[in-house]
Amino acid sequence: MKKQLLIFPSIVFFFILLVFFYLLIIDRDPTELPSVLIEKKAPRFEAESLLDDKKFISTEEFANKTVIVNFFATWCKPCREEHPYIKRLSNTKGIKIIGINYKDNPQRTIKWLKELGNPYSNIAIDSNGQIGIDWGVYGLPETFVVNAEGIIKYRHVGPITKKVYNNFYSKVIANRE
Amino acid sequence: MSASVGNFSLWLSLCFAIFQFLISRKKNNRSVLKFNKIAVNGLLLCVLVSFFSLMYSHVISDFSVVNVFQNSHTTKPLLYKISGVWGNHEGSMLLWILVLTIFNYFIYKLYNQKNFTFISKSLEIQAIITIGFLLFTIFTSNPFERMIPAQVNGLGFNPLLQDPALAIHPPLLYIGYVGFSAAFSFSIAAMSINTEEKISWYSYIKPFVLTAWTFLSAGIAFGSIWAYYELGWGGWWFWDPVENASFMPWLLGTALVHSLIAVEKKKSLQSWVLLLSILAFLLSVIGTFLVRSGILTSVHTFALDPARGIYILVFITLLGGYSLILFGIKSKNFLNKHYFSFFSREGSILVNNVLMITVCASVFLGTIYPLLVEAFSNNKISVGEPYFNSTTIPIMIPAILVMGIGPILSWNRGDATKIFGKSFPSILLTTVISIIFFCVYRPYNMLGLVGIILAFWIISNILLTLVPQLILKNKKFIQDNIPKYSNGMIIAHLGIGLLILGITGSSIWQKEKITRMKVNDKTEIHNYNIIFKEINKITGQNYLALQGNFWVYNKKKNIIAELKPENRFYPVANNSTTEVSIHTNLLRDLYIVLGEGDINEGWVVRIYYNPLVIWIWIGAFMIFLGGLFSIKSNLKFIKRLTL
Repeated sequence: MKKQLLIFPSIVFFFILLVFFYLLIIDRDPTELPSVLIEKKAPRFEAESLLDDKKFISTEEFANKTVIVNFFATWCKPCREEHPYIKRLSNTKGIKIIGINYKDNPQRTIKWLKELGNPYSNIAIDSNGQIGIDWGVYGLPETFVVNAEGIIKYRHVGPITKKVYNNFYSKVIANRE
Repeated sequence: MSASVGNFSLWLSLCFAIFQFLISRKKNNRSVLKFNKIAVNGLLLCVLVSFFSLMYSHVISDFSVVNVFQNSHTTKPLLYKISGVWGNHEGSMLLWILVLTIFNYFIYKLYNQKNFTFISKSLEIQAIITIGFLLFTIFTSNPFERMIPAQVNGLGFNPLLQDPALAIHPPLLYIGYVGFSAAFSFSIAAMSINTEEKISWYSYIKPFVLTAWTFLSAGIAFGSIWAYYELGWGGWWFWDPVENASFMPWLLGTALVHSLIAVEKKKSLQSWVLLLSILAFLLSVIGTFLVRSGILTSVHTFALDPARGIYILVFITLLGGYSLILFGIKSKNFLNKHYFSFFSREGSILVNNVLMITVCASVFLGTIYPLLVEAFSNNKISVGEPYFNSTTIPIMIPAILVMGIGPILSWNRGDATKIFGKSFPSILLTTVISIIFFCVYRPYNMLGLVGIILAFWIISNILLTLVPQLILKNKKFIQDNIPKYSNGMIIAHLGIGLLILGITGSSIWQKEKITRMKVNDKTEIHNYNIIFKEINKITGQNYLALQGNFWVYNKKKNIIAELKPENRFYPVANNSTTEVSIHTNLLRDLYIVLGEGDINEGWVVRIYYNPLVIWIWIGAFMIFLGGLFSIKSNLKFIKRLTL
């Protein structure tokens, strides 16, 4: 009995290695955070709109169309980095992009958008971060894909850079009507 | 130019390593000795040349080298240009290989008439390890990669790494990790060669394990010091995966150092030592894998590159598969029916071994548990401090109790009733000191009290072993009747006692205050009044900083310290760091961090009162010192072996 036990370390070892191999081979981003909101209705909110004088009412915005919700701020450097990619996404047919301007200065945001271009069809002002709390925002920038039924299908934490753009884009296309 | 030289000699060292592998397999004594001399020396020389050419490229800021461009800048101070060599993934692999070849050289030096097959086999295994790491470095992380055109200046560096403690932290750690490779090779060799050849392989392993363990202890300590002074979070240990990756081999090393004593004295526990030697090195490499593959996220993660991960993993599979299967087949030859009493010195060593392995296993489980969960359920979870504290502390408590009593037990025979008699003085002393401590500080905290008692338990046991040697003048009587203890053991165990004191004090009775302060605001923490006197702009060599000036008063309204924490901005790296300011004495640290803020709103100031922190560093230093003493006495032994 005792002698058979000697082979035990190698069995445990190979088991652990198998797990490591599996995790390395599958397409996986260790920094990715799942959201409890996935497959749930997008949280409702009302806020000031940055672009026009009307109130921003989420139920009006999230209807009939796939929506990309992008939390951003002018103080956030990675947001500037991902901005060209957000603009590229805005050229996609059949979707619209909603910006949530998180804890920011409206004047500065308008200047920022004039300088870099505006990919957003509407922007909600989240001056005290309440919308961010409701959506479980972890850190800026953060981007959600909401389908035409208003269900959150995908969440990306961090900037949408060259590296992750294609992956993100495929998620958008998959959820387009 | 220097980069080309470095690259060339890296390739050349690969040739030498392959040469060493092929030669060590030959059976002809004389030619093996002659050619191995060429192989081992050539390997060492080439790796040295590679290493110093990379260092030269960093020092002269040769931005045609990608590695220098990505990790350096002309404004970086010279010391950090040098330490910058191993402050990145590629360079640190080169340092790893350098340490590996140095150990390789020392193994070669052990050749004599009697141990030819054993050392040759060890050198063969060592060559395999070296080849593996050289291939990895050359093909997936070559530090000499060039870029055209050369850049005018580098991208900068991580300002957090600009710290003297961090400059020596990796080399010390690597001596530790890589030192275990020698133990690994020796134990493979011991299992592979004919067991008829009576070779005391454990005596070969011991000095290497001691060296690895001693330097690993120092490396971990410097890492903690860096975390404490540089990160500004008020703590010195965070159960980060990378910290765990260094802590696990340390635990196995601790078990190994002690069971090697039992093997030497009693020839028992041999297969156990073989297994520990294999696991200690495998865990060191798995630690590297976890850090470098990006499979886990950690504050230390260098580079997210799955190709590197796959490479190391394949390497680990071969290395671990071969060694563990060999162990499964061969180690039964090392089992013996030599059972011993629970209440003997070797019994206490075995108990402590088992406890160390248990701690190691629970740390390992906690580190990879998020990965297991993700592999099987696709959920992400995070395992943190509460898990590690609640699993390791309860196992550590009996381990420390046994550690106190172990050295005073005698080998072989055990008598439970005598133990009580023997340990009675130290129980008494511990009780007295603990009561005094309690009366002075009134620490109403169970865990804190347990920690303090354990610390004094170790300290009083050690002090009491010294007493007979100090009082009794009769040398003859001492030699015959009093057990002799090595200086290394006494110093290192005392160090552990002080370490526990420091750990307990700083983790149980830490006080934290986070407040927003404007100039001339006052605050207080544990009997100290702190006034924010002024704030100044200062300019460093490659940074700009805001420096706060805090005056600390005690209860008698005497000023005891002026603390000047800084909030630094490094323009090149576009990165801010906080420089902590600390006032230390033997009883406590006062620790101030200057956070974000401005002149109108005030600044966020974090103040910590950290009791007994200095004893952690003193304890760690004594452990290191004790280790050095033990290495010294074991080197004498190995010299005798090579004669």
